[in-house]
Amino acid sequence: MSLLSRLKGLLQIRRLEREVDEELRSHIEMRTQDNIAAGMPPQEARYDAQRRFGSSTLAKEDMRAMDIVGWIDTIGQNLRYAWRMLRRSRGFALVAILTLALGIGANVAIFTVVHAVLLQPLPFPHSEQLVRVYDDLRANNTHDVGMSVPELWDLQDKSGVFQDISAAWPVDANLTGGEHPDRVEFLGTSTSYFTLLGVRAQLGRVYNVQDSRPGFTEGIAISDGFWRRMFGLDPSILGRQIRLDGDLYTIIGILPPEFHNPGRSLGSEVEVFAAAGFNAAPFPTPPQRASRYLPGAIARLKPGLTVAQAQARLDAFTAQLSREFPVEYPPAANWGVRLVPIQDDLVGKVRAELLVLFGAVGCVLLIGCVNLANLLLARAAHRQREIAVRQALGAGRTRLIWQLLTESILLATVSGLVALLILAWSKSSLLSLAPANMPRLNEVSLSSGVLLFAFFVSIATGIVFGLVPAFQMVRPNQVLNLREGSGGSGTSRRQMSISRTLVASEIALSLVLLIGAGLLLRSFGQLIEVQPGFDPHGVVIAKLWLAVPNDPAEDHYGTVEKRAAFHQEVVRRVRGIPGVQAAAIGSSTTLPMDGQRFRLRFTIESQAAASESTPVAEVGSVSPGYFGVLRAPLLRGRVFSDSDDSKSQPVVLVNDSLARKYWPSGDALGEHIRIGGPRRRDGTPAPWMTIVGVVGDIKSDGLDTATAPRIFLPLSQSPTYDAVVYLRTGMDASTLGDSVRQEVQSLDPSIPVFGVRTMDAVMKDYLAQRRFALELLGIFAGVALLLASVGIYGVMAYTFSRRTNEIGIRIAMGAQRRDILKIAIGEGLVIVTIGLAAGLLGSLVLTRFLQTMLFNVKPADPLTFLALSLLLAAVTMMAGFVPAHRASRVDPMIALRHE
Amino acid sequence: MGEVLAKPKSDVLQGTLALLILKTLEHGAMHGYGITLHIQRVSSDVLRVEEGSLYPALHRMEQDGWITAEWGTSENNRRARYYRLTATGRKQLAEEEKNWARLTEAVASVLQFAQ
Repeated sequence: MSLLSRLKGLLQIRRLEREVDEELRSHIEMRTQDNIAAGMPPQEARYDAQRRFGSSTLAKEDMRAMDIVGWIDTIGQNLRYAWRMLRRSRGFALVAILTLALGIGANVAIFTVVHAVLLQPLPFPHSEQLVRVYDDLRANNTHDVGMSVPELWDLQDKSGVFQDISAAWPVDANLTGGEHPDRVEFLGTSTSYFTLLGVRAQLGRVYNVQDSRPGFTEGIAISDGFWRRMFGLDPSILGRQIRLDGDLYTIIGILPPEFHNPGRSLGSEVEVFAAAGFNAAPFPTPPQRASRYLPGAIARLKPGLTVAQAQARLDAFTAQLSREFPVEYPPAANWGVRLVPIQDDLVGKVRAELLVLFGAVGCVLLIGCVNLANLLLARAAHRQREIAVRQALGAGRTRLIWQLLTESILLATVSGLVALLILAWSKSSLLSLAPANMPRLNEVSLSSGVLLFAFFVSIATGIVFGLVPAFQMVRPNQVLNLREGSGGSGTSRRQMSISRTLVASEIALSLVLLIGAGLLLRSFGQLIEVQPGFDPHGVVIAKLWLAVPNDPAEDHYGTVEKRAAFHQEVVRRVRGIPGVQAAAIGSSTTLPMDGQRFRLRFTIESQAAASESTPVAEVGSVSPGYFGVLRAPLLRGRVFSDSDDSKSQPVVLVNDSLARKYWPSGDALGEHIRIGGPRRRDGTPAPWMTIVGVVGDIKSDGLDTATAPRIFLPLSQSPTYDAVVYLRTGMDASTLGDSVRQEVQSLDPSIPVFGVRTMDAVMKDYLAQRRFALELLGIFAGVALLLASVGIYGVMAYTFSRRTNEIGIRIAMGAQRRDILKIAIGEGLVIVTIGLAAGLLGSLVLTRFLQTMLFNVKPADPLTFLALSLLLAAVTMMAGFVPAHRASRVDPMIALRHE
Repeated sequence: MGEVLAKPKSDVLQGTLALLILKTLEHGAMHGYGITLHIQRVSSDVLRVEEGSLYPALHRMEQDGWITAEWGTSENNRRARYYRLTATGRKQLAEEEKNWARLTEAVASVLQFAQ
């Protein structure tokens, strides 16, 4: 039967089916009408009409069921066949599975992090209502200046946008009563904290608004980690009293292990949660509106209120407060309150980075797919005959394409499984590669969402790399292939052009990745070139905390003199430790790269106009040796001396940035400034302080940010409860830590020494996040480069192996080897050039997304673009040259006989 | 015989259904539904033609050339397929009627003999 008549028959059957259908339908309609006319309800009338056809409709259903059974049967057959094919070509299967497992594994790994960090909502009920509340001085573009207690109360009671708001105030606390004093991470909150978050205790209870006291509430909640660390999960712990900073607290509840404070802490996970009313000792009373010692708050918005709506209402509210209290909120400062969704606040900084990595790893998988597609195309030659035979025996085109796709999907699925196994097995070591300060890292897991992603990526991968080869292999005019045998240049021409396109796209993708990695590398280079303004090498730090008891009468360090004496004595003693060359001590805000800031407004005596807009500076207290230990240069004047004490004239040092900003042409030396308002807490007038020196800028807030104006106070005049000991030494941190602890505790046995590490380690941690992104992207780009080289090598080698005959003829006809090489290189050059052009274009578009991760480098940095294009061109041309060279050296006699 | 159950295997009944259809169409073209109604009405509800049997029978008869079909419009303005006797069909009808008469006669004589 000819194709035409078969087609006609097919068409006729179709028409007949349609006619029968219509006839039966019209019959049913007529019967239904008559039934209704005879008084049947319409529903029943139709049912009766249909029921009379009963057996025939059933027959139709049977046909459909047969279809599904047949379909499943086909899939089964396809799978069995695919399995046999893969087993028969184990080498190919192994290469494919390794490539894909790598690609899929990397994708799943990055997705696991993206899922945990970015996609999953925070584990709190209605977490979209949770916001972080910051105070800003918008005129100076100064963010996060801290919140005062009256502001907290106003936001709670009068703003009308919050269901609840709670202070979140991370501080150090000293745990005493055990063998050694221990430092704990302590969070001072409002009593509403847990209600606001919707968190219950796993044992006992958490505090709530009914527990409110003006000072600290006695009942505290502890973290699961603290329960484990200090009490070995002892279930009878409830009601136990512990002494923190000299005060007794009662443990009333243990928080669930999965609970983490959604916000900043000082050094580790929060261990102790305590509520305070901030309206009695140890807090300054009555609370001052201008005393912003709370580092902000967390809050839950009223239901139905979006963040934007709430922000608009708050803007109106703060404007009104500013009019009400013009002294505390000078119009020139433009004070305001800013809401940030809590999820953005936690992970906003890493979002861009993770998405870039996710995109990059997707590119790697795509490149892997392209390589495999090429491999499949090359194999197609061997399978051409098999396919042609099956087609001639009546296998449909769709069926054959599905057959081939089943093979690639099977490969990809097996690879996905291998990838998952490897990931599950190496999860903890992989996670340790991520920087420790990556938020929400503890929530990373191979959850069902991740498994689903892995499944879909595997299937999609199989389709992506299998589709083109499948369509290429199963083409309508297969009769040709039967005759063709191993195949000449006829059919392969189209195939070769597909392969070339694939390789060009592979080169393009690799170039995008290389340029991305190159830009990050260049910014990292720029970053570590930045002079930090001090010499971190050979410096060891250790932290101290002088307890602040709730009852001022209990405070051993309640006066300036007592604290100053303690600090001086600590410096004197640690300087005596063998191996220590110099020692100094400063408040915790003087530790560079630590992320802790303490911003205060100040006024300049001689510049009333500038003081109107309330200039803000970061403030810290240091002992005279600080600049010497850190090797930070003094630019003008003098540093502090031991004679600058509580009895002498108040003096300050300012950094270069502050001096330049407020005395652009003149000299800051000898000028007077005042920190805070005109009066102290106790009502006495705040003193004017003399600038006695200007020191070089220390990049405390990070190498990539402009140095903020900074004021240093002498620690002996403004001694703090928190302190960092700085030691210049050749010794390592761990042995030195014990000596420092011994010296400090011989002075006061209740004071813990913690956070002992080298300044180099502090710097390393600071760079960890950037290094992480750089290293990962670098690895991805390297893999891409390798895959692209393999890809072009494969295609060139294949091209020339198929053209051996032609080359033989050319040589026999008198072509020189050089001519052959020229043709070969010319072909490679075309592919590489097209690939590079596409890659450059893509990079121009895509590197914009790197913007936030770059430092001192433009996303379209010409040097990076040029250098990496050249690198990629060189590598791929080299990969293409090898097979071309081999082809040019072929013996014409062998080549001519080659079939 | 309460119902004409024209199962493919029962040739007698099959033949009977064909006879009934041919006879019905003798007076003019009619659609499938009309045929069932006619047989039911004329036989005073004694004979009912099941739809599931009617259409296969009609299509078979069409293929045998006894009847032809064409689309037309019913009394209620509905599109329906009208069946009409062909010349062959008329001959077949005469044949079938003769057979039927012979059959009933035979059955009657057997019954009379038994009494």
